[in-house]
Amino acid sequence: MSDLRIHGIVLSGIGGQGVLSLAQVVLEALRRSGFHALQSEIHGMSQRGGSVHAQVCFSDVPLTSPIIDEGCADLLIALEPLEALRYTAMLRMNGQLVVSEEPQTDMEGYPPLDDVYAALKRLRGCHLVDTEDLARRLSFRQAGGMALLGLASAFLPVSDKIWQEVITQRFEPKGARVTEKNLEAFQAGRGLVHDPVGA
Amino acid sequence: MHTSHPENLRVTRDTEHAHHTSCFDKVEACMAQSTLTLGVEAVGCAAFDAGIMGAFGYPGTPSTEGFEYAEAMIQAQPEGRVAQWAANEKVAYDLALGVSYAGHRSLVTMKHVGLNVALDAYANSALTGVRGGLVLLVADDPGMHSSQNEQDSRKLAEFAWLPCLEPSTVQECYDFTWRAFELSESLRVPVMVRLVTRLAHCRAALHRQEPLSPSGLGVAPKETVQDWVLIPSNARRRYLDLLAKQPRLIAQLSPMNQLVPGSGSRGVVVSGMGRAYFGQLALEHPELAALPRLEVAAYPVDPRLETAFLFGLEDVFVFEEDYPVLEERLGFRGTARVHGRLDGAVPRTGELTPRQLKNALTLITAEGKGAITLDLPLRAPRFCDGCGHVDAYEAMQSALQNLGVPDARVFGDIGCYTLAAQEPMGAIHAVVEMGASISMAVGAALAGQTPSVAVIGDSTFGHSGLPALLTAADSGVNVTIIILDNRVVGMTGQQPSQALDQVERMVLGMGIPEAQLQVLTPLPKQHETNVRALESALRYPGPSVIVFRRECVQSLRRGVLKEHDREAEARLEQACCTPELRP
Repeated sequence: MSDLRIHGIVLSGIGGQGVLSLAQVVLEALRRSGFHALQSEIHGMSQRGGSVHAQVCFSDVPLTSPIIDEGCADLLIALEPLEALRYTAMLRMNGQLVVSEEPQTDMEGYPPLDDVYAALKRLRGCHLVDTEDLARRLSFRQAGGMALLGLASAFLPVSDKIWQEVITQRFEPKGARVTEKNLEAFQAGRGLVHDPVGA
Repeated sequence: MHTSHPENLRVTRDTEHAHHTSCFDKVEACMAQSTLTLGVEAVGCAAFDAGIMGAFGYPGTPSTEGFEYAEAMIQAQPEGRVAQWAANEKVAYDLALGVSYAGHRSLVTMKHVGLNVALDAYANSALTGVRGGLVLLVADDPGMHSSQNEQDSRKLAEFAWLPCLEPSTVQECYDFTWRAFELSESLRVPVMVRLVTRLAHCRAALHRQEPLSPSGLGVAPKETVQDWVLIPSNARRRYLDLLAKQPRLIAQLSPMNQLVPGSGSRGVVVSGMGRAYFGQLALEHPELAALPRLEVAAYPVDPRLETAFLFGLEDVFVFEEDYPVLEERLGFRGTARVHGRLDGAVPRTGELTPRQLKNALTLITAEGKGAITLDLPLRAPRFCDGCGHVDAYEAMQSALQNLGVPDARVFGDIGCYTLAAQEPMGAIHAVVEMGASISMAVGAALAGQTPSVAVIGDSTFGHSGLPALLTAADSGVNVTIIILDNRVVGMTGQQPSQALDQVERMVLGMGIPEAQLQVLTPLPKQHETNVRALESALRYPGPSVIVFRRECVQSLRRGVLKEHDREAEARLEQACCTPELRP
């Protein structure tokens, strides 16, 4: 990936799911991999259970714009299926989506779930992850984000060693068990089949 | 970069030297590896490194983390420095001005609408001037991500005849803040560093300079009384001084604004995020790099630079964040057609985006995956589960219903509890600015509205509700003021409220009789009691106050006030056990 191209990642979800924290892990991992990287996030009202999204741009050359233009992102990591659909227009034609199947329906007018899944499945490069099942299997309620990142890591130029280092440093202050569980969730995501569901 | 600091001799006693060395080791270790910080944090970091004695502010998105970063650095390495949230932005600004008067550098932080509150202090400090460098961090919020308007602070800097620096990257946030302190001391005026949301909340690697220890020029000498006492005879002279200083100010800022020559009859003017977006577009589209370009990073801009830039150009595109400040100036200056927000080349309102630049410059945009046809309703923010505000509002609505006025108009205020304006709750009907609820309710009551109800949070009450309550008590009209006391500044991240544990005393002190003050606990099981208390307050023909007190669920979860409450309890116990204090 040593060219002038600017790569973009969009991360989305709802307040409290850890979208910004996940974005920071991605930013740090890319920086340690030798890229120039920028992250943009919006705080404020979004903290109270509203939609939250962050963007990470990276390149071999120094960057100044933290925002990705529509149709230019390479990867979308979404912690909630409806929150994935909001940002599909950000993706380039052959961009990839890594999306949690677990809906957060506590809002007015959430569309029928079948419609949401169908819309996602129509998109080429969409990987749906049953984070609820994964969390149960790992006995770790917050496994979802790290598992999605594990799967998404297949599309990012970061070595396994750097991912491990960054995740460890991030969660170390919260204790050995939390760190271990996050590393486990990341590896579980990484082990998932990479065949996208979309046609 | 910190060369123009001639009078700020570093005061380093021998005994302190060893200590400083060890601190420097730590900082050097930190500097060897760049850190990832937000743009707004980079301002706080630079202020610390530039040797501030004090950091002050009032929380407000997206400025909050600027103060918090400086605060964290100060707490880790105090050396006599202080960091203090203030009751409001004006108080914060005056605190910083006091530090400056005492001869030290200071930082004051606020969001754009906060500067309205501090405008009296800001505009008048242009006349007094400063002693220690004073830097004002203002974070504007174009697009109104979490604000009630998108006013442009550059206009207020111009209004006050003061310099404004506008960075476009995280590193510039840091570098420009250093520069702002140097300019402030060399020009002897406060300097504004203006950020916008997108930069304030952009995270990137930051490279620090070697930090300075806080040092001082000493308290202002007595003869400066003629500069600092703004009675008309002094103020007239100081205003002339300020105007006479403008050419020097422009000359010192000038190196920050660049005229980049190019070819052709089309040119671009870029500032702030416009500069960041254009710079990156020019990487992808090399033809853009050949356009003549004016890069603005400091205001006021030298008119000669603008004239030189416009010479020979037929079309000029202006990409700036928020108001058409540069666009208007250039439009008056030459014969070139100026394109931007005023002629619709860029949308008139909202946040600037790279796509808007592409459209204005008619670049080809990428064909992406395309939008989804499914209708996607907005996911609005809502109250946290178990939030006491919900119980308070439900009690209020029941009481109004019971009194036969279910469609009463209620005046709200600014904070998490503003969420009650949304349907289905729809409990408040006007929210304008900090503290407005009380005065608007009094105004409406004076005009005959009954009942007239205000809902305000504890921190907002301390911010600017106090003077309004003084007037409410004095007016004697039938107004019911509901203070939602969750003990913290909930919305901006649960900073401790300045009104913590003081609300009742404040209410009584403003002249509300004890009988008209009730303190309630907003819990579902207290609903009936709370409704009855509200009904009696609403019926009372004069001003009455209801305080709903229950700690914010978020701060409770994080244990923000745990230590505070433990200490308070210990003090109470000690007081009870001390024999001479027993009644």
